[in-house]
This record gives sequence, structure tokens and C-alpha cells, in this order.
Amino acid sequence: MAPLLEVRDLVTAYGKIEALRGVSLAVQEGSITCLLGPNGAGKTTLMFSIAGILRPRRGSIRLGARDITGRAPHVIVAAGIALVPENRLVFANMSVLENLRAGAYQRRGGAEIESDIERLMLRFPRLRERAAQNAGTLSGGEQQMLAVARALMSRPRLLLMDEPSLGLAPLVVEEIFRIIAELHRDGTTILLVEQNAHLALQVAQHFYLIEQGKVSFSGSPGALAEDEVIRRAYLGSAAR
Amino acid sequence: MLLDLLQNTIDGAAAGASYALLAVGFTLIFGVLRRVNLSYGPAVMIGCYAATWLHLNFQSGLIVLALAAVAGTVLAGAYVERLCFAPHRSGSAIAAMVASFALWMQFEELATLVLPRHVYAFPLLHEGAPVEFLGLSLRPDALAVLGVAAILCALLQGLLHRTRFGLAVRATIENPHAASLAGIDPGRIFVLIFALASAIGGIAGFLIVATHGQVTPMLGMWATLKGLLAMMLGGLGSLRGAIVGALVLGQIEAHSQWFLGPQWRDLVAYLLLFALLAANPSWMTRWTISRSAS
Ligand SMILES: Nc1ncnc2c1ncn2[C@@H]1O[C@H](COP(=O)(O)OP(=O)(O)OP(=O)(O)O)[C@@H](O)[C@H]1O
Ligand SMILES: [Mg+2]
Repeated sequence: MAPLLEVRDLVTAYGKIEALRGVSLAVQEGSITCLLGPNGAGKTTLMFSIAGILRPRRGSIRLGARDITGRAPHVIVAAGIALVPENRLVFANMSVLENLRAGAYQRRGGAEIESDIERLMLRFPRLRERAAQNAGTLSGGEQQMLAVARALMSRPRLLLMDEPSLGLAPLVVEEIFRIIAELHRDGTTILLVEQNAHLALQVAQHFYLIEQGKVSFSGSPGALAEDEVIRRAYLGSAAR
Repeated sequence: MLLDLLQNTIDGAAAGASYALLAVGFTLIFGVLRRVNLSYGPAVMIGCYAATWLHLNFQSGLIVLALAAVAGTVLAGAYVERLCFAPHRSGSAIAAMVASFALWMQFEELATLVLPRHVYAFPLLHEGAPVEFLGLSLRPDALAVLGVAAILCALLQGLLHRTRFGLAVRATIENPHAASLAGIDPGRIFVLIFALASAIGGIAGFLIVATHGQVTPMLGMWATLKGLLAMMLGGLGSLRGAIVGALVLGQIEAHSQWFLGPQWRDLVAYLLLFALLAANPSWMTRWTISRSAS
């Protein structure tokens, strides 16, 4: 089966420094694919390159049959990719409801948008309680839920999530992962960056390990368990 | 004495209303672009010169002149946006500001080239004497300015808070990257906001020259100064702050002119800005800081 997302030999640089040095990966439709790697490995750079915030220097990115390499972020959203960015980046001075509507900016049809908001409020009950509140007044966990919900409002074919558990309390992290599992069950395709390898490998069907701008190892979670050496090397550096 | 106070307050409110429109235009541009556009006032001046040229050559009516002022300002604004702000969108804020200063000079040259006299008469909104009312003298044109400014500010508020476009503008103001991830094209918002701010500036310019009854090339510098000053008094970057700053500026000018003399008129406003900054050094940056922290 042809993958939903296919990244080939991607090179992205900040000035002269190449943060991605030829990354290739594929995400199958309906799967959770996980991106592991230590700090500074280039995970966020890869997410930004796919989402169009950063323009890759070389290589290609395809979504289905469509080449989206180097397209502007709003074009990529229209193509069907939504990024839940690291640090969430909710619109702090706008209400929860307005944040959700902003996520649906590309869509037409108010009634359908409102019914999507209604559905998301069922999935994220905390957001319903805070619907009229400014997003800046939400807790970190609530902001993360909002960031996920806002991304879903564009009805993406592929959801990118960059470290959704970052800086959150263990109970909240658990809730986030429960939501990720739910989204997966509903058929959402997810590319997930996560430093907590243990958690990530529980939900993912496939993983890539990125180190210093390159994929150094990939496989399905079972294979990683077999490879004690790499596992230790990685978990050792990422233990928090 | 009480009557004087009241009279000054009324005069100050009318002046403040026209400053408010200028400050709102400045703030819209500053809000979405994080750039100071020194050419904002001069673009307004170009719009007013376009109207003056029509008046001189065709004796057009006030409505046509108002439309010409708006169209001229939007055209001049588009020129500024393409030359100064589009190329430096992600780059240097200083480069954009310096470039906008260069265009200011161009606009003054252009104005004096086409209409070389130092002053031109502009038709008044309202001819004739002010209306006397309980010992106060009320100028109908000043009241009209007040009314138009209030309506425009209310419309703008509605546009920003009740429409899909407004949602996109506010998202872009908060964080252009996050906005683009939501599917908004910040580049398009920048251009539209520039046009909107210019149109508001054109209306402000028209109201100002049609109440003063004259146009000079100095209008550009004057409008930039008043707009910037009001925006800074209001704390840089919030529309409500800009409107309040403009109204305060109008009041300060009217009262200090009356009580201290015309030479104090501008000085007191600068002193107040200075005092505000001395008392609270983060006055003008609080908004930009809160943005980068979020
Ligand atoms: N704006 C930038 N300018 C210059 N270099 C950058 C910039 N952003 C990231 N880098 C560099 O690019 C490399 C990859 O960074 P990136 O943020 O993609 O890592 P990451 O895997 O997401 O790390 P983390 O786990 O800390 O989020 C790092 O060496 C980093 O220092
Ligand atoms: Mg990162």
C-alpha cells in the first residue's frame, strides 16, 4: 500500500547548519507513527518542514499523490495536514471557541463547523467548561487539548503532533495518550514526536529514531524491544 | 471658567476623534506587522492632495473628494507596503522603518511637484458660524468628525470580533506562525490590513483637511506625529489603547493651549509620554512582551 505521507532525502538547514541531513520516512494511512530521538536531533525541524513553516533545501514530501514540498503552511493545511506544534501555540488572547473556529479557517459551511466543535467538546469536556475563556488562562494540559482540538478542526488526513506531553503532569500525559489512542481508533493517521519512548511505543505501530538529523534506526515496536543495545542507548539519553 | 473647561473638552474631543482614526490605522499596521510605518501620515497627505487636485481642477463635491482621499491613501499605502514591508516581512524591522522614511521624502517631493504652492484651500464640511448652545459654541463639522470616528471605531470592533476575517486578523496579530498552521495566510492578512488602515487614514485625512479648510505638505509629518504619539500614549499595540491615547492627547492639547498658551500645546503631550515612560519603562513594550511569552 502506498503510504499517506512520504518524506524522501529531506535536507533542511538553518543558515549554514543542516539540521536535517537526508531524512526519509513513510507514514501508513490509519497508523500511528512515532518519531523518537534526543534533544536537538531535528524532530521539530522535520515537523516544521512537513508543515511548511520551514522550506527544505533538498528532498521531497508527498501527501498521497500530491507533492507538497516547499508549499506555504496554509496550502499544506488545505492539502490535509495539521500540526499540533511544540509548546502548543494556542491563541492566548482569544477564547477557546475562537481558537477552534480559527482551526477551521479553511473550511466553509458554518453548520458543519459548529457540529464539529460540538463533537470535540464531547471528546474534551474541559474545553466545553472553558469555551468562553481566553486560551491564555487555561492550564498546560488544557492548552494541549485545545491545540489538538484546534488542529482537528481542519479535518486533517494527517495529524502531526510535536511532543504533546512536554511539561505536563503524569496524569495529564496519560489523558493525552488516551486521546491519541482514541483518535487512532477513529481512523486518524498520526505522526507523533515523543521523547518518552516507553509511552510512545505503546501506541505506535511504527517508529523512527532520529539522531543528528538522520534516521538512525526504524522498525515496529517489537523489534526495538529485541534490540537491547539501541534501546538502552536511547532510553539512557532520553530518561527525564 | 467651568464653561471654558467644557468648551475645551468639546474641542479636544473633536481633535481627539481625528487622532483616534490615525492612531487606529498605525496600530493595525503595527499590530499585524510589528513594524512602524513612518510613511503612514505622508500616504494620508497624498490622499488629501489627490482630493485637492480634483477640487482645483473639477470642483468635485465633498463625497467625491472623500472617496478620492481614501483611494489616494490606499494607493500610496499599497506602494509603501510593496516597497518597504513586503520585502522585509521576516527580516529587519529597522530596514522597513528606514525604507518607510525614504518614501515619506518621496511623497513630499511628489506633492510639491504636482501642487507647488505651500498652502491650498480645501472646501469646508460646514460653512458658516458655529451653533451657540447654552453659552457653548458647537461646530457641526467637529461633531460630524466625532460621529464618524465613533461609527468607524465601532465598525472596526465588529469586524475584528464578529467576522471570520477578524478572527484571522487577531490570530495573525497574536502569532503569524500559529495562524499559518491554522490555515490562515498571514501574507494576505498583512496586505488587507494595510489597505484597511490606509482607508481609515484616508477618511481621517479628509475629515481633518475639510474641518481645517486647508492642505499643506506638512500634513504628512503632522499625521504621523499625532498618530504615533496617540499610539504610544495608549501603550502601543492595542486598538482600545490607541483610541484612549488619542482622546487623551486631544484633551491635553485643548486644555494646555487654553490654560498655558499655544506654545505649550504640543509640549505637554510629550512631557506626559516622557512621564509615563519614566514611571513605567515597560509601558510601550508590555504588549509585545506578553506576545513573545505566550
Ligand atoms: N531557529 C534555529 N536556528 C538555528 N538552529 C536551530 C534553530 N532551531 C533549531 N536549531 C538547531 O537545529 C537542530 C535540531 O533542532 P530541533 O528543534 O529540530 O530538535 P528537536 O529534535 O526538536 O529537539 P527537542 O527534543 O529539544 O525539541 C538543533 O541542533 C538546534 O540547535
Ligand atoms: Mg522539538
